[in-house]
Amino acid sequence: MHQVADVEVAKNIMDANKKLADKNKKNLDDKGIFCVDFVGAIGSGKTTLVEEIIDNTDYKIGVLAGDVISKFDAGRIEKHDVPVVGLNTGKECHLDAHLVGHGIADLPLDDLDMLIIENVGNLICPVDFELGSHMRIVVVSVTEGDDTVEKHPIIFQTSDAVVINKVDLADAVGADADKMVNDALKLNPNIKVIKSSLKDGTGLDEIIKCIEEAMNN
Amino acid sequence: MHELSMAQGIIDAVIETAENNNATEVNEITIELGRLAMVNPEQLEFILGVLIENTILEDAKIIFEEIPVEIDCHDCNFHGVAILDDKDHYAPIVKCPECDSYSIEILNGKDIVVKNIVIEKEDD
Repeated sequence: MHQVADVEVAKNIMDANKKLADKNKKNLDDKGIFCVDFVGAIGSGKTTLVEEIIDNTDYKIGVLAGDVISKFDAGRIEKHDVPVVGLNTGKECHLDAHLVGHGIADLPLDDLDMLIIENVGNLICPVDFELGSHMRIVVVSVTEGDDTVEKHPIIFQTSDAVVINKVDLADAVGADADKMVNDALKLNPNIKVIKSSLKDGTGLDEIIKCIEEAMNN
Repeated sequence: MHELSMAQGIIDAVIETAENNNATEVNEITIELGRLAMVNPEQLEFILGVLIENTILEDAKIIFEEIPVEIDCHDCNFHGVAILDDKDHYAPIVKCPECDSYSIEILNGKDIVVKNIVIEKEDD
């Protein structure tokens, strides 16, 4: 004879990642390292921004560079004489706290005061996966279209700052950078919004100041 | 693929519970999906269907329940279930139901929880 039973599972699938993210943050806190996590679409300018921050500050920076299969970004960053670990996600569209934990373990933490994590290019999936960073900055370029912000509300509602990049190209691609600024502020009145053109350095000082304010908070 | 790792986590949790309860078959799986989890239930159901082939979950009915989004409002101190402005989004925009503010902290609604399963088992 068979019997049928209703059994409680009560298993939160996101818990495992959250616990690892908390562990990552604690490891970084113990070493006095501030961690900022950059998210944004493919080609938004995340890697260039990481390079500019390294070249224009005196922080002892380590980098975790996420890529689906390649190590191109890690290779670029390595040329700036900072410790970098390339993290490949394989088929997955986001970094998770598990991969980041391994990356942190491979960095010389005693020699660092800032960790920059560059996520895989994606405005959707990274939202679900905390990594253990202290601050999340979303990078969006005008060339993605000026409706990109309103089309991806949650990442802007859950990030601390947004860099609207490549504003020098706005006219060429028919995009309204101010619309993107207003959309971000409407979705998240507390988000810090910075317009930038990393090609000529516009906005870089403001981005660095914004990170420093979060660091000293 | 985002849904693949979620689906694998769900199946691992179901199989563990089923085995611990000596199940011979799983008839029903109830999954709670946060409205802000960046997962499409149809895609999740599709990939679950692929992964449960040839397992004791194979014939299970999959039921999705929604976890509402709870917020704290920074402007009027409202605490509770938010208004979701769906527009054309699957992923909704979240705002305060009392004062329409977007200046909020999201407390709940991003999780994916395997709530319970209905199993068949031999008599004890």
